[in-house]
Amino acid sequence: MSKARSAIIGVGEVPTGRFPERSRWDIIYDTCMEAVCDAGLDKNDIEGVITVAPQAQPRLTAEISFGKIPEELGLKNCKDVCIGNAGGASTTNCLRMAEHWVTSGIAKAVLIPHVTVHTTIPLDEVIGFFATAGMDLQWEYPFGTTYNGMAAMMTQRYMYETGTTAEELASVVVALRAWAALDPNSMFFGKPLTIEKVLSSPMVSTPLHARECNVLADGGGAMVVTSAERAADITDTPVYKLGHGVRYVGAAPVLRHDDSMRESWRGAFKDAFEQAGVTKDDIDVFEFYGAYPMGQCVMLEAAGICELGDSGKFIMEGCTSPGGKVPCATIGDAVGRGHTGSGVSMANYIETARQIMGKAGERQVPDCRLALATASGGSGMNTTATVFGREIR
Amino acid sequence: MSEYSKPLPAVQPWSRPFWEGTRENRLLIQECKACGAKIFYPRKACPECWSAELGWSEACGRGKVYTFTVTLTGVEEKFAGDLPYVLAMIDLDEGIRMMGNVVECDPGDVEIGMEVEVVFERVTDEITLPKWRPFRG
Ligand SMILES: [Zn+2]
Repeated sequence: MSKARSAIIGVGEVPTGRFPERSRWDIIYDTCMEAVCDAGLDKNDIEGVITVAPQAQPRLTAEISFGKIPEELGLKNCKDVCIGNAGGASTTNCLRMAEHWVTSGIAKAVLIPHVTVHTTIPLDEVIGFFATAGMDLQWEYPFGTTYNGMAAMMTQRYMYETGTTAEELASVVVALRAWAALDPNSMFFGKPLTIEKVLSSPMVSTPLHARECNVLADGGGAMVVTSAERAADITDTPVYKLGHGVRYVGAAPVLRHDDSMRESWRGAFKDAFEQAGVTKDDIDVFEFYGAYPMGQCVMLEAAGICELGDSGKFIMEGCTSPGGKVPCATIGDAVGRGHTGSGVSMANYIETARQIMGKAGERQVPDCRLALATASGGSGMNTTATVFGREIR
Repeated sequence: MSEYSKPLPAVQPWSRPFWEGTRENRLLIQECKACGAKIFYPRKACPECWSAELGWSEACGRGKVYTFTVTLTGVEEKFAGDLPYVLAMIDLDEGIRMMGNVVECDPGDVEIGMEVEVVFERVTDEITLPKWRPFRG
């Protein structure tokens, strides 16, 4: 049974899309100032900054690593600064480190920012980054790996093992884009899709069509974290971190044994639910970050919501879509939101917080009291699951 | 041979015998002399027992496609000339799994479970990449 130790008390975000004219620091200002104001704090209440490492932007990463954010923003009482990099799971690690800082006397409140601008990075550099992100430089990369290709191979195997059809897989994208269409911060706001449109988009890497792959985008977000003890004094809508589970899978996809992703998700969910003192049936919204359509299927099955191989049908029936009985990924995952590198998980946690705060607009799940958020890094090197809730349990 | 512009494997001292093997058209698998584990990819110490007593045995060079993808677009410029190409994970008869390319066939003919055999593609004086083609016997 959980006794929450930390809470998210404020969030800030700029829309995800293509904004080459916006500098990265411009986005950092806007998201950080919004998050601190949303928390109802003064800038000088922020005593620590833990940044989600931007991917493929080494100069910015160095600037942030070496302490520029508190200075730039004038956070006069900041005591320490750090950057967290675990690819798509970076935000998870920043949240965990923030929990330590706010409970150990280092900081009363911690700011967690992220920014990525893909559109001003030369295309070949971006493709090169993703061709090696989570691939082995000796045993995989020389054969022409791509990020899409790695997901495609996992998807191919998943379809073979479970009998999931191309239509079912496409329907995952349809469900995700239905959520994204309701999200003004999404790249695909107001742009729902049909199965036919997914399947008629060009094949990128079999069995994945273009609309089943992610579109690289620019964006940023920020969160403010404080201790569970202080949270209710600062805000009326604290988002308590109630339980957490994580499993390491492995770096090189070729080494992962047949069931490793599923087992890892099962383990992470089990720990997170047990720590929070809840079951899957208590969860009001499942904020799954799967990066590719298959990820939603694997997580639904690992969480015990669907039997192995039944998730495609479940999604195609609309069960996870807006209005469905098991709302999943209400920003539309990376495929609906637009891919901002490690920022997808930032967007996912921000959405989780919004759902609990009751600020999710048209996507709001009615009376959302408990949410599960997931993340995964690299090409699936780990699986993380976190339960958030409206009350300390 | 200096024309080859695609990425070469980032060889480590302990994996050198593997790449010396492929240069002689032999596919070598690292083995632990202490616990008997077959090791892929090659390590400095056995990932099962941390023994440094490691040796090599020659694989028969046959396997089955575990999974694959036909890559059609979205690759680095240096791979663009190869499109479409098949990226695949191969389950070797010896019980290890390697990443590679399936070559010498129509990409559309590749399927999971397909039997393949190793072929060696010399790309530089130093490096020969193991690739896979449909089993011919
Ligand atoms: Zn051993």
